[in-house]
Formats: sequence, C-alpha cells, structure tokens
Amino acid sequence: MRQISLVVVMFVFAAALLAQAGRGAIAGRVTTDQDDAAPGVTVQAKDMAGKTSSVVANKNGEFRLTNLPAGIYEISVPQMGVRTARFAQPNVTIEAGKTLTFNIKLMPNNFGIIGDDGGFLHIYNKYANQKGPAPRTRDGRPDFSGVWLANVDPNPTPAQMRPWAQQEWERRRDRAFEGMPTSRCLPLDPTMTLPFFYKIVQTPTLLVHLFEQDPHYRQAFLDGREHPKDLDPTWMGHTIGRWEKDTLVLDTVGLNDKSWLLQAIWLPHTEKLHIVSRYTRPDLAHLNIDVVIEDPDTFIKPVERHVQWLFTPGEEIYEAICAENNKFQEYSAFK
Amino acid sequence: MRTTSVKMTWAAVSVGFVVAFSVPSGGRVLAHHSFAAEFDITKSVTLTGKITKIEWTNPHAFLFIDVADKQTGAVTNWEIEMGSPNGLTRLGWTRTLLKPGDEVTVDGSLGRNKANLANARSVVMTATGKKLGAASSEGAK
Repeated sequence: MRQISLVVVMFVFAAALLAQAGRGAIAGRVTTDQDDAAPGVTVQAKDMAGKTSSVVANKNGEFRLTNLPAGIYEISVPQMGVRTARFAQPNVTIEAGKTLTFNIKLMPNNFGIIGDDGGFLHIYNKYANQKGPAPRTRDGRPDFSGVWLANVDPNPTPAQMRPWAQQEWERRRDRAFEGMPTSRCLPLDPTMTLPFFYKIVQTPTLLVHLFEQDPHYRQAFLDGREHPKDLDPTWMGHTIGRWEKDTLVLDTVGLNDKSWLLQAIWLPHTEKLHIVSRYTRPDLAHLNIDVVIEDPDTFIKPVERHVQWLFTPGEEIYEAICAENNKFQEYSAFK
Repeated sequence: MRTTSVKMTWAAVSVGFVVAFSVPSGGRVLAHHSFAAEFDITKSVTLTGKITKIEWTNPHAFLFIDVADKQTGAVTNWEIEMGSPNGLTRLGWTRTLLKPGDEVTVDGSLGRNKANLANARSVVMTATGKKLGAASSEGAK
C-alpha cells in the first residue's frame, strides 16, 4: 500500500514537472493595414479544448503570451469598432520551451474609409486606463450616465437560423448587404450592439440612449409600467426596465420586422423579436451589456451578445442628419 | 536535473516567424452602408488634383477634385466619398481644413456604378505632405 502511494506521489510529481516543462510562448506585434501599431487590441490564444488566454497589446502594438501549454491554438484578435476586422488563424503550434514570433496585420473592417471609424482605436486607448469605482445616483443605483464608446462582442457566436431566415440572409449577402436600412437613412439595429458612440441620460424613472444614427434616441421606462397590449410594431420597439440589485434589466418588445440585426451579419427577424439587455457597471470605465435576442420564428435558439462599452467622458455625440445628402441609392450597383 | 533542463529550454527563443493576414469576411460596411455595393475593392485608384468643391454633409462628406490626364491633359472632375463629418471631426478634421484650390492626393477604390467616383482611404495634402487625419486614428506609431 505504501509502495503504491509512493508511486502515485512520484507520478503526480513527474506530471507536474512535465506540465511545467511543456509550456511555450507566443509574441509579436499587431499592426493595421496602414502598418501603424495597433495598441489596445486583445490577442487571444484558444486551445483545442476551448480554453482561452489573452493579453492586450502595448502602446507599440506588441504582445507576449507566456506559459501556454504546448499544443495547437487558434490565435485571434477581436474586431475593434468598425476599424479592424476580426483576425483569426487556426492551427498555430506552440512548442515547449520556445517562443513563437507571430506578427499580425489587421485588415480594415471598412476598407479604411477615412473618417469612417471615428478614430476608434485612438479614442479607445485614450480612455482605456481609467480607474475607479462605478458612480452611483442619489437614490443609490449604479449611474450609467455619460458618453460611451460601444464595441462589438469580441467573440460572437453564430446564429442558428430557421430555413426561411437562412435563405433571406443568403439573399442579403448575395446583394452585398446593400439593403441595410441605415443605407436609406432608416433606423439602426434595435439590439444597440453597434460600435458607435452612445450617450446615456438616466433618471430614476427613465433611461435614454442618444446616438448619431436614426432615430437618434431610445427611451426605456423605469417607472414600473408594463408593456402596453396591442403595440403598433416600431423600429426601436417599447422598452421597460427594472433593477435586479445593481443590474438594470431592459426588456424590449413591439418591434417591427424591418430592422437588420447585429453589426456585420445583418440578421432578419419577425415581429416576435424580444430583446433582453442586462446592464452592469463593474467600475468607472466599463459598462457590460449582456444581450439575449429571442425570436422563435427566426432563431433555433436565442442569440446572445456580450459587449463592453468604454466610458469616454471627454467625448460628445453630435447631430447627424442622414437624409441631408445621402447618395447611396444613386451610386449603388444594385437597383 | 529536470528543473535545470526547463530553465535551459526557456532560454530558447524565436524558433518560427509567422506573418499572418486576416481573411476578409462578408458584411463589412461603412458606418451606414455596404461598401461592396458602391465600390470595388479590387480596383484601387490614386488621384491627384485640386479641390473644386467640398460637401461637409451627412451621412458622408465629399471632396470634388479636378484630375488632369497625364497623356492628354484633359481634366476630369472626380467625386471622392469620405466618412461622416462626426467621424472626420474625431480624427481632427474641421470643415475648413481643406479649401477649394488645395491640391491633394487621394488613395481609394473605384465606384461601381458611377464614373469618376471613388472613396478615400487616405488623403495627403500636397503643400505639406501630411496624411490628413490618418495617424491620429492609430495612437502611438
């Protein structure tokens, strides 16, 4: 019995040593398509079991991920705003005791249209290191007021669509997504997960989002009212909110079927669309929003998005009247 | 013995060198419309000319420039699409940064459905050689 125990102890000890020995690292520099450094982007290494390690690139765009068990990884950089597209490279081998040099060049998500990204990385990095606790309102609730730079879900999961929705989505894709409502100055995605600036105005009974795309506002009622019966479907729907401790739960129904959902994939939906968004502010700099998008006639199971907005108190949102000079339909190749 | 070996292997560096590029995916857009429906990413164009007009408008600002054909000297007025005034402002632009008569070089892609239309990926002012609004969008270089 003692001999067996000794063998077990030795085996565990040897395994621990082997595990320590069997680790490697990956390091390199992340640049944009214009060969500028991409500071502030996150570099992720996901192993075959789905375990992810990550690090944020420094001011020179350099990163180093150490202590990775030897093996096969997917190396990825999540999309940042509309500036850079998601980067992902599977089957990257990390060898024990070695550092793999891995430089990453990000492709522009918007083909680098000047001004179109709103200086996302620059502004993001300007505010990324704010420290402090989340402020509270006079009535003791977390205070979400202020201007926020939204970002997309860093690791979005694919939507599982019913056949009609899949066909509709493919039709949209085959027309290069030219039909997206905002191209005709119609409202944006009611899931509020697009990577733009939002301003939140909060009172005890009302939470208002202001933004630079039509319809420029969404109001959420926090006064205890219910959704009205027989709502006329609208672009942004009807939103009510309730507090669950420090989490504000917003519930939206009464949506029409005209909007396209989720940045870059533009999903269809029906009027059964139901959006539940849970807002928490863990600290001064961040607002975490967990969104569940339900529509049983469109999605086989609810689609989730987990986004993090960055507090940007020195920024402001501005008027932007799309119908002023919109030439898209005239210049589009699709008629 | 084993520990020594671990230390030694940790001293090894840079066994491989990989430069990776992300693969373009569908659905990429300007802030408010589809890029691919209006411009052809495979047809790059570089244009130099004097500004004749600026539309500082939403949802996009436009530059109009007179471009002379190098062989014939014939002048064509090109229309150049940029981001929104809000986006350009956040890069440090103002509505008076460029004026009619200023010469610029624009790098972009050709329009699909309209002659002499392109988007601007970058705008360089000839007088100063300065790439407008681009460096500030990336933070430290």
